Amino acid sequence: MATFQRHRLTPWILLAPQLAIVAVFFFWPAAQAVLQAFYVEDPFGLGRTFVAFENFTRVLASAEYYRALGITVAFSIGVALGAMALALLLAVLADRVIKGAHAYKTLLIWPYAVAPAVAGVLWMFMLAPELGLVSAWLGALGIDWNHQLNGGQAMALVVMASVWKQMSYNFVFFLAGLQAIPRSLLEAAAIDGAGPWRRFWTITFPLLSPTSFFLLVMNSVYAFFETFGTIDATTAGGPGGATRTLVYKVFEDGFVGYDLGSSAAQSVLLMLLVGLLTLLQFRYLERKVQY
Amino acid sequence: MATLSLDALRKTYPNGFTALHGIDLAIDDGELIVVVGPSGCGKSTLLRMLAGLESISDGELAIDGRRVNDLEPAERDIAMVFQNYALYPHMSVADNMGYALKNRGVPKAERRRKVEETARLIGLEDLLDRRPRQLSGGQRQRVAMGRAIVREPKVFLFDEPLSNLDAKLRVQMRIEIRRLQKRLGVTAVYVTHDQVEAMTLADRLVVMNGGHIEQVGTPMHLYERPASRFVAGFIGSPAMNFLDARRADGDLALPCGTRIATSHEVHNDAVCLGIRPEHLSRVSEADDTTLTTRVELVEPLGADTLAHVRLDGQEEPLVARLDGVQPVAEGDTLYLRPDASRLHLFDLDTGRRLDDKDIHSCPSSPSSRLA
Repeated sequence: MATFQRHRLTPWILLAPQLAIVAVFFFWPAAQAVLQAFYVEDPFGLGRTFVAFENFTRVLASAEYYRALGITVAFSIGVALGAMALALLLAVLADRVIKGAHAYKTLLIWPYAVAPAVAGVLWMFMLAPELGLVSAWLGALGIDWNHQLNGGQAMALVVMASVWKQMSYNFVFFLAGLQAIPRSLLEAAAIDGAGPWRRFWTITFPLLSPTSFFLLVMNSVYAFFETFGTIDATTAGGPGGATRTLVYKVFEDGFVGYDLGSSAAQSVLLMLLVGLLTLLQFRYLERKVQY
Repeated sequence: MATLSLDALRKTYPNGFTALHGIDLAIDDGELIVVVGPSGCGKSTLLRMLAGLESISDGELAIDGRRVNDLEPAERDIAMVFQNYALYPHMSVADNMGYALKNRGVPKAERRRKVEETARLIGLEDLLDRRPRQLSGGQRQRVAMGRAIVREPKVFLFDEPLSNLDAKLRVQMRIEIRRLQKRLGVTAVYVTHDQVEAMTLADRLVVMNGGHIEQVGTPMHLYERPASRFVAGFIGSPAMNFLDARRADGDLALPCGTRIATSHEVHNDAVCLGIRPEHLSRVSEADDTTLTTRVELVEPLGADTLAHVRLDGQEEPLVARLDGVQPVAEGDTLYLRPDASRLHLFDLDTGRRLDDKDIHSCPSSPSSRLA
């Protein structure tokens, strides 16, 4: 103990670079945002006025905000469930593959290395109403695809692009989770008379619950924050705000509309919302998780 | 309550490796068969084939006379106790035990009754609400047993169920398994690499080596008349000593000059002589029927003393089991006389027992050798 006390400064010196990065790139901007939420600033940043909670009350009184909230909830549920369900399906299938398993796994992990904007553009081109391959096929099937006009199709497009991108991340965790389940448990269940479907739902799925819970938290955060690039590159929040999620609205109001005070207030609200959501997940869902 | 019949069972993996070369075995109703052998001998593969966890490449497996080769594990009406117990970690003890009944659609009330009844039988009634991770190793082992018993299966399969327990618990559970199996009268196949476990549990013992059955018989039969050098070395602890010997005027002559009179009619010039450690006795004077040895290591076990000794011109040290506490020390010279009536002679090349005309004691060996 005595030796450690003599070097009380050393840990801080060792931590300093990391702390400096976190301070400069996270705490300082976050503090600025919180501060800004209480001011109204002119578009050129020449002067600002303290308005207390007016930015918040204005945001919370606007129908636009609640529409964006509704869109975000629908979008997040779609992305989280879609990405997790598909990833689980692929992981279960990949877990059974014996020959060429490595190639499969590598290919399935690939989309994670693609930048969000690139992923978005990829899907946008495939489904572009005038020149997209997939939209041409859909047209042949009698489906008139035009996400530039149809809000529901625009939403489907951003959900698909976001799911495709997040799926790889989930896949890696689900596959690791599956491989951590001892083979003998499934064999015991087979001897105990459970068919493959029943084995999955009564043994595999419950044993994956820690993984699923972790991924649910990560996917919610992803859907709320990290899909900005995908949305911006494909629909830019349109048509008519049909894909304008909360994070996209923060960007639009702040950097397109130059209402920095409102934008800051919204980002504070968004942060509180995600914090609350994560807290709720830990509080209520984690109890049901089997470790 | 079932008979099991294995007819020329073979296992060949897709990569061409043959793990089992034709296994023949008939198991009677209520019998406890212990399959024993070194790792890689195919004993676990055999058990997994009985369970339906491994496919059968060739041959026929029948339970109660009905061919089950292509039946799913669930349809064979067998229960298996795994080495790592394979308890479902997210279920309580009661749910673990009731899982198979639930899968079969047994009503809840009856399920509960059966689980409680079984729990009482094996002393688990206070632990029914616990999760597996809250149990000790011995308790987990009990739950695994309970899960097998509650189903009232035709056959119990045990895959080295005691190897994760400490020595004391292992002895205790061994006795308990034997007691339960006799009481329930269920046919059982028990795989282990521990020959003491094998000897004490088995009605009949199956010794396997390299995918073949070496010998089948009661533990004492295998001890008294091992059919091959492999069985002789595997059954009995400490293991049998082996010496090269030559035939000389009806006697056996050892390289060190010792001559041993034998009643065996041996036609080979050179044989492998097997002497169990307990059939070497200490004598005070050397003569031409004794072995003159130098003590290398003494292991006092209380009731017996094991002396590891070296014989001139012999590479492997010999082990002698001496009565009680013997005044021997490292470096002492020890005169040992083999019990001439309890010698075992084996062919130097094939390793088969030489005096054994009673080929029926190892029915599957000749055919499996050819296979």
